[in-house]
Amino acid sequence: MKKRQSQIAYMLLCILLPVLLLTGCGQKQPEEMAQADETVEIPMILTVSPSSGKKSEQDVVDAFNTAYQGKYHIAVEWIMETEEEYRQNLKRLNVTDKLPAVITDLRMLPSYYRLMIEDHRIVDLAPYIEADPEWKQMIEPVVLDGCSEPDGSVYLSPISTAAFSCSGIFWNEELFAQAGIEEFPQTWEEFWSCCEKLQAKAITPLGLHTEGTGWSAMLLATAEMADSEEGAAFMNELYPSSYQNDCIYHMADTLQRLYKYTTKDAMNADFDVAYNNFVAGKVAMVANGYWMIDQLPEEFREKVRFSPFPGNKLVSSPETFGWAVVDSYSEEVKQGAIEFLKFRTAENQKLKEELFARDTDASRLLQDYIRAYRGQPQIVPNYQVKWNSVLQERTLGEALPALAQKKITQADFVRMLGESVTESKKEE
Amino acid sequence: MKKQKTRSGIQRKYIKYTVALLLLALLLSCGGVSWVVQKNQETVMMDTYNTMCENLGASLDLLYEKTDEVTADCITYDSVQKSLRSSAMSGTQRSALSKYFAYINLDDVAEYCYVDNKKNVYTKSYSKLTFHAFRESGMEQFLKGSYATTKWFWTEDTLFGTGQEALFVGRYVHNMDYVHEPGMLFLKMDPAFLQEIAGSEKNLDPGVLMQITDADGAVCFQSGTKTESKNTLSYVQERISAAKGTGMIISREKTGNGMLCAYRQKDSGMTISIFVPDFVLYAGMGKILTVLVMIFLLVMLFAVILSVYFSKRLSLPIQKISKKMAGFHGNDYTRMEELHTRTELDQIGHSYNEMLGNIEQLVTEVKSQEKELRTVEVNMLLNQMNPHFLYNTLDTIYMLARINKEETTMRMIQALSKYLRLSLSKGEEIVTVADELENVKSYMEIQQIRNADLFRYEIHCDEETQQERMLKLILQPLVENAIKYGFDSQEHYRIEITIRREKEELVLSVYNSGTPITPDACEKINGLMQLPIADMKNSFQSRKNGYGIVNVLTRLRLTYEDQLSFYVISKEDGTTFVIRIPRQV
Repeated sequence: MKKRQSQIAYMLLCILLPVLLLTGCGQKQPEEMAQADETVEIPMILTVSPSSGKKSEQDVVDAFNTAYQGKYHIAVEWIMETEEEYRQNLKRLNVTDKLPAVITDLRMLPSYYRLMIEDHRIVDLAPYIEADPEWKQMIEPVVLDGCSEPDGSVYLSPISTAAFSCSGIFWNEELFAQAGIEEFPQTWEEFWSCCEKLQAKAITPLGLHTEGTGWSAMLLATAEMADSEEGAAFMNELYPSSYQNDCIYHMADTLQRLYKYTTKDAMNADFDVAYNNFVAGKVAMVANGYWMIDQLPEEFREKVRFSPFPGNKLVSSPETFGWAVVDSYSEEVKQGAIEFLKFRTAENQKLKEELFARDTDASRLLQDYIRAYRGQPQIVPNYQVKWNSVLQERTLGEALPALAQKKITQADFVRMLGESVTESKKEE
Repeated sequence: MKKQKTRSGIQRKYIKYTVALLLLALLLSCGGVSWVVQKNQETVMMDTYNTMCENLGASLDLLYEKTDEVTADCITYDSVQKSLRSSAMSGTQRSALSKYFAYINLDDVAEYCYVDNKKNVYTKSYSKLTFHAFRESGMEQFLKGSYATTKWFWTEDTLFGTGQEALFVGRYVHNMDYVHEPGMLFLKMDPAFLQEIAGSEKNLDPGVLMQITDADGAVCFQSGTKTESKNTLSYVQERISAAKGTGMIISREKTGNGMLCAYRQKDSGMTISIFVPDFVLYAGMGKILTVLVMIFLLVMLFAVILSVYFSKRLSLPIQKISKKMAGFHGNDYTRMEELHTRTELDQIGHSYNEMLGNIEQLVTEVKSQEKELRTVEVNMLLNQMNPHFLYNTLDTIYMLARINKEETTMRMIQALSKYLRLSLSKGEEIVTVADELENVKSYMEIQQIRNADLFRYEIHCDEETQQERMLKLILQPLVENAIKYGFDSQEHYRIEITIRREKEELVLSVYNSGTPITPDACEKINGLMQLPIADMKNSFQSRKNGYGIVNVLTRLRLTYEDQLSFYVISKEDGTTFVIRIPRQV
C-alpha cells in the first residue's frame, strides 16, 4: 500500500515540476495592436502667404475637421509659396500623379483646367449637387453658372455667394489725406488726377508688379477697359480669338500709364512686393479682392479703405474660388472631399449672412466692401478666367515689364497678345 | 566464508534516491531550459529576421521612391515637356534629349527608352530602337490603367532584344499645360539594382532564403546558397500570393520547417520575403544543450561524491548502533562508546546506553524476585500443614496444662491459638479492625508471658471503628518492632495502640514509650514512601533491620497504592508509627 502511495507521489512530482518550471518561463505576448484609426484622411495642399504668414483657408479646414472628427480629416500640407508658384506646382503634381485630393485655383489656369477635365483627372460634381437640394439651394445662381461647363458638368465646387469674390482698390486714407484727397475718385479722370496729386506730394500712388499675370495692374487696366461698352463686351468674351482691337490697344496704353505711378521694385516682381509696399505705407493704393481684408495687419487695417474701381466697377468671377476633387483617389476619400466642399459652401453662406446682417458692427474696411458690393457696381469678369493660358502664363510675364519700361510699344503689346492666341490654338 | 559487504542500507537508499532525484532534475532542467532557450532563440531570431525584412522592405520603398523622383524629374524636364507640345523639336534638340536620360541620377540603369507623342524614340546612342519595334515589344501594356504612376514590372526584355527577364521602370509622361497624347518612359534596370537591397544586409546567413517577387509571384531576385526544397519554395510563393495588403504582409510566421516573413511594397507590388530554415533558426542550440548537459553531469558527479561522503558520516554511527543492537543477546551489558556526530544520533547512542543500564538492573531485580519467589513457594509448601491438626494439638497441650494446673502455659496456648487463627484467617487479606486488634492483643499477651509482664499495653478503639475493614497483620509487625527496638527495661514501658476514623480515613497509630527512634532511622522510614517499592528494602544496611516495617509498607502500598500515608513521629517520650489508609465502604 505504502509502495503504491510512493509511486503516486513520484508521478505527481514528475508532473508538477515541469509545470512549475515552465509556468515561470511563460511570457505574455504583447497586447494586440489597437484598432487602426478609421478616420478618412483627405490630403490637401494650401499656401502660407509669404508676405503675411497667414495660412489660407485655415478657418474652413479647422471647422470641417472639428465637425467631422473621427470620420474625415483634411490633412493639409502647408507650403509657403506665392499663388503663382502654387499653381505651377499643381501642374507638376498632376504629371507625377501626386495631386492632393482637393485642389484650388484650378480656374486660374485655363489650359490646365481643360487638361484636367479632358484627362478625367477631376470629378464632375454636378450629379452630387443635383442629388443634394440642400447644397444646391445654398449656391447663388450666378456662382453656379460661373462654375458650370457648357455641357452642364460642374468640376469646380461652387462657393455660396459672389459677395466675397470681388476685387476693387484698397487705399491708404492717411496718404490720401496728406495729398489733400478726401474722397476716392469716382471716375477714371479723377483717378489719374488723384495719382498726380499723390505723386506731387512724393507719395507713390500705386502698388504694382509684373510677374505672374500682373494681377494688380491687370485688375486696374481691365476695369478701366470695361468703362467703355466695347471694352465691357470684350471682357465678357471667353478665350477671345483675337486681341487685335482698340480696347486692348487702350488697355496697353492704360498699363503703361499705370506703371508710371508705381515703385521701381515693381518690375519683375510678384504681387507680394506690391502688397508689402502698401502695408509699409510706401504706396497709396493696391488693387486686390475681399480676401486681402483678413490678411492686412490689424493696426494697419484702420488706415485702409476699400472702393470700387472708378466708374463703380468690381472685378469678379466667383468660379475662380471653385475647388476640385481629384478623381484618382478612392471612393471614400472622394466622398469625404465632396462632403468638405459642401461644408465650405455652407460656411460661405453662413459668413455672408452673418456679415451682411451686422454690417454696421463690422470694421470700416469691411463696411466699405459691403457698401461697394451693395452699390450696384458693374461686375467686370476676371481676365484670368476669360483669357487663354499662354497669354496669362507667358505673354503677360514677358510683355508687362517691357511695356512698363517702354521697351515695347502698345502695338507690340497687342501683337504679343495676339500671338498668344495663335500659340494657344496650336496646342489645343 | 564470503565476506559480506557492510554498506549501510540507509546510505544505499539515500544515494539511490539522490541520484534518481538528480536525474529527474537533470531531465526536467534540460527539458525546461532547452524549451526556454529554444523559445528565446526562436523569438530572437524571428525578431531579427523580421526586422531585417522590414529594413529590406524600407530599402525597397526607398528604391521605389528614388525611381519615382528620378522619373518625375524626367517628366518635368523642360525638353521632355517640349517634346510633348504640338511643335516638333529639332534634330539637335532630340539628340540632346536622348543624351539627357543617360545622365539621370539613378544607378544601375542598363537601358532607357523614351517615346514622345510624335513617335520619336529616345534611347542610348548605340541603340537603333524604332517606334515600330517599341510598339511590337508590348511594353505599353504595363502602363495601362495608370495616369503617371511609376510602374515596376518584371518581364522578358522584348524592348532591347536581350530576351532575358529584367526589371523595368515605366511611366506615362503627360504635358503639364495642354491636353496632348502622353509619352512613355522605360528604364531597364541592371540585376545589380535589386542586388543592392540584399547587399544592404551584411548579416544575412547563407542558409536564409531571400526572394524579391513581383506582383504576379515571379522571382526577380533570390539569394541564399543552401536553398530549400521545391516544396518549401512553392509554399513560400503560395503563401505570399495568398497574403493581401501592403507593408509587412507576413510577420514571424512559423511553418513546418522554418519561419517566413514578407514585406510588400505598396506602389510597385514587389514583395521581399525571407525564409529562415529551422537549422538557421535554431543554430547554436546543440552547443547550448551540450554545455548544459555537461554542466548537469558535473553537478551530478559532485553531488554523488558529496552524498557518499556526507551519508557515510551519518551512516557509520548508525551502522555502529545497528551492529551493537544486533549483537545484544542479553548477557553482555557493555556500553557502546559515546557518539560525536553532533546530530540526534548522539542522543540515540546515549539513550541506548541508558536503556542497557535499565535492562541490566531490571534483569537483576527479576532474578532476585525469582529467587524470593522460590523461597516463598517453599514456605508456602511448609505452611500447607493442616490447621485442624495444629489446633487439636494445641487443645491437647492446653488440656495437659490444665490437668497439671499450669496457668501460664494455659494462657500462652490460648493466646497463640487466637493469634494463629487470625494470621491464617482462612486466607483472607482484608479483615475487620476488631480481628486485627484481637491478633495484636494475642501477640502482646504472648510477649508479656515471655517477658514476665515487663510492659503494659493499651488499645483505644471505639465499637464502630472496630467494624471497619483493613489489611490484616499490619499492627503486629509494628508492635514487634516496638518491643524489639523500644524496650529499654524501664519500669513503666508502655505500648499504646489507637485506631480512629478521620472523615474518609482510618488512622492507625502505634506508640511506645521506650527509647525514641534515632533521627537517621526516622528519616529513612519517612523517606520510604518516596522510593520505588523495589528499592525500599535497600534503605537499611542489614537485611534484618527494618524488614518488618518494609514488609508492612510493601503490602500497604501494593493494596492501597498512593492512597495511604505512613510516617513515624519521634519524640523524647517515645516513638509513634502512624498509618493512614482509606476507609472501605
